[in-house]
Amino acid sequence: MNTHLRSRRALGLAVASALALALPACAEGGGGGSRSSGEASPGITDDSVTLGITTPLSGTTAGPGTCTVAGVKAYFGKKNADGGIEFGDGKTRKVEIEALDDTYDPQKAKANYDQLKNDVFAMTAGLGTPTNRAWREAAIADEVPQALIMTGDPLFSDTDESPMQLGFVPIYQNEGEAFGKLLAGSSQDHKVAILSQNDDFGEGYVEGFKSAVEDADNIEIVKELTYEATDTSVDAQITELSSTGADVIFNAMSVTPLTIAALQKAQQLNWKPSWFLPSNTSSPGAILQPGGATAYPGVYSVSFAKAPASPAFAQDEDVVEYLAALKQYGDYPEPPAFPHCQWSWMVGATLEQVFMKMEEPTRASFMEALRSVKDFEAPLMLPDTSVNTTEDGQPAVSTVVVQKYNGKGYDTVESFQ
Amino acid sequence: MASASAVQATPSPSAASPAPSFTERPWVRRAGALLLLVVLVVAPLVLPQFANETLARVGVFAVAVLGLNVVMGYTGQVSLGQIFFLGLGAYVTAYGVQHDWNVVVVFLLACVVPAVAGLVVALAAARLGGLAIAMVTIALPIVGVPLAKRLGDVTGGSQGISARMGGAPEGSGLYNDQWTLYVVLVIGGIVFLLTRSLVRGKFGRAFAIVKGNEHVASSMGISPYRYKVLAFTIASLIGGVSGFLYMYVIQYTSPETMSFGHSIQLLAAMVIGGAGSIVGSILGGAYYVLVPQLTNEIDASLTALLQGAILLAVLFVLPGGLASLLRAVTRGRRRSGAGNGAAAPSTTPPSTAGSAPAAGEPETERHGHA
Repeated sequence: MNTHLRSRRALGLAVASALALALPACAEGGGGGSRSSGEASPGITDDSVTLGITTPLSGTTAGPGTCTVAGVKAYFGKKNADGGIEFGDGKTRKVEIEALDDTYDPQKAKANYDQLKNDVFAMTAGLGTPTNRAWREAAIADEVPQALIMTGDPLFSDTDESPMQLGFVPIYQNEGEAFGKLLAGSSQDHKVAILSQNDDFGEGYVEGFKSAVEDADNIEIVKELTYEATDTSVDAQITELSSTGADVIFNAMSVTPLTIAALQKAQQLNWKPSWFLPSNTSSPGAILQPGGATAYPGVYSVSFAKAPASPAFAQDEDVVEYLAALKQYGDYPEPPAFPHCQWSWMVGATLEQVFMKMEEPTRASFMEALRSVKDFEAPLMLPDTSVNTTEDGQPAVSTVVVQKYNGKGYDTVESFQ
Repeated sequence: MASASAVQATPSPSAASPAPSFTERPWVRRAGALLLLVVLVVAPLVLPQFANETLARVGVFAVAVLGLNVVMGYTGQVSLGQIFFLGLGAYVTAYGVQHDWNVVVVFLLACVVPAVAGLVVALAAARLGGLAIAMVTIALPIVGVPLAKRLGDVTGGSQGISARMGGAPEGSGLYNDQWTLYVVLVIGGIVFLLTRSLVRGKFGRAFAIVKGNEHVASSMGISPYRYKVLAFTIASLIGGVSGFLYMYVIQYTSPETMSFGHSIQLLAAMVIGGAGSIVGSILGGAYYVLVPQLTNEIDASLTALLQGAILLAVLFVLPGGLASLLRAVTRGRRRSGAGNGAAAPSTTPPSTAGSAPAAGEPETERHGHA
């Protein structure tokens, strides 16, 4: 790698004048790095370490995407202001974040990765399944860590398939399973209607749910329908499901407007089941209020993060510290509308744990430390949830608690009422 | 037109040379082409890795924009579906690579399948005129995305499909990024040369007449329908080639690749580069890739805003696209009778050699608008 770059530079000087074509790109690529064993990996010095993020900062997914940067930026901004983080090798380093916008376009995500890979120590926190998959194999080939990313795709948590990767948020199956278990523990009989997105997202939820209720005698799945993520209406599916008279609807949906429309449509039909909604489409302010969710006997979702907007956590130490840092260091003035901000803050805290265990300033040592965090209760985590990176096939956070909507926010519930 | 005013505004080089039409001399053009070739051969060896990777991406989208230019810039048929053919080519490539097919077979299929798909669509769409064609082609990415998700067994569903190829062969002594760029340069270069011959030959003239006035074309014995179908099919084929290159460079595709928004961005890149221009296609590809990188450098959270501003700025200043600027520069220099011998090859970006304007070229070359 070293000689490669050096000879390139020497030759480059000689012919630079002829290369007008490449001028815009040239300037950025020179950063280069060495990767020979024993030496420090790129992006880390004795007093700083740089992390890269590629995530959607514009376009339709910009809201959650911006959060994935803000949380981790806020966390390390605060730590840097306090003097930095003491690494496992005894040196204290400050953590810099370099975030680029990929607009949820896999091609741009790959370009961003190419731009960052020789300058940053590790990639982290980026949102999106296709945008993370686009450079997964390249990251494995280049041995660049793709750590604690925001996708529920199980592929990233499979150590054999993805040696340089680890997902942060629960995989889809974890969430569906958590609700299934709660329902199976109910003392009554339930008829369940399932509506799911016709892709890996929907399938993952349904798979997790079914595995949990498989042996439960009190649960009967009366009907299963799907829709496409690109559909503009699910009125037909809701109408068909309402005719089953099911008292629970398991709605594995990732599209915000469709979720609101589904909640409204069922009310129009005077069908009032209990709802299950995935964690990314259960925001009280953005979805449940416009959807009129109070009309239903219960709206359930799963979570592992404290909701800063909830009155129950208004005085919580973690929440107060987090909101202040988000404003001061995360360039995020308002209270966050997406849970991704909280998740990203936890990614920061988890990375700190990893850094403290990392004995050499190398990517290999980082990956080793990354897979050794056990039962870490990150700030903002709900009771009974924790970060555990030692289990193969599971993301960093695989435990979730089921929560019920109370008209304003969510309360953790132990049983299905 | 704006290009005319740009001519006046462009300062001509001060150094004078006795030859008024220096750039048109055969040996100069041949030397220019040779110089371009040398630069293209040497560049991947000496550029930093990221520059190579960026140039390879520019190549991918330059080819995609070129395809769009054939149907839109040269033949005047609005196509909003070019990204679909890129996506189709990418999926065919990915499927072939995953099944360990010979790479040549994969490449041919990545050309043929989109071309056939384009032909079928064009047979129906070209019967319609004007904006109706736009409406038909708009359906392609809109149908393509859910189709790619539905056919999960073939396409990998919404999780997409990866296929790694393009590693430098053992013994070549090249790094992967260098090898990849060479492949893009060779395939892209061939496509560009073939397309250049096409649009400058009799087909190009026929396209231009169909674009100008279909009734005139009919009265001259040129069937607008047939030439529209031909242009559309060629555009789809070139789209398929860009899809192959996309897979070669990016190594991953998902339904997201062919989302409608990207089709519009390709269109914007074509207009900004210069509709109906070979150089414009390269500039359009460069715009498509470099502007997001540039705006990311300025402020990653304002990329959409900055890109919009750049788009508007370019269209205000250069309605004919970036290619019209180059044309204005060369024309202005020629008019002032100052072809600066020493500076000419190095100040003009190498890519201009492909379309250094000659007085007798078809009208299309100068009509820099969609």
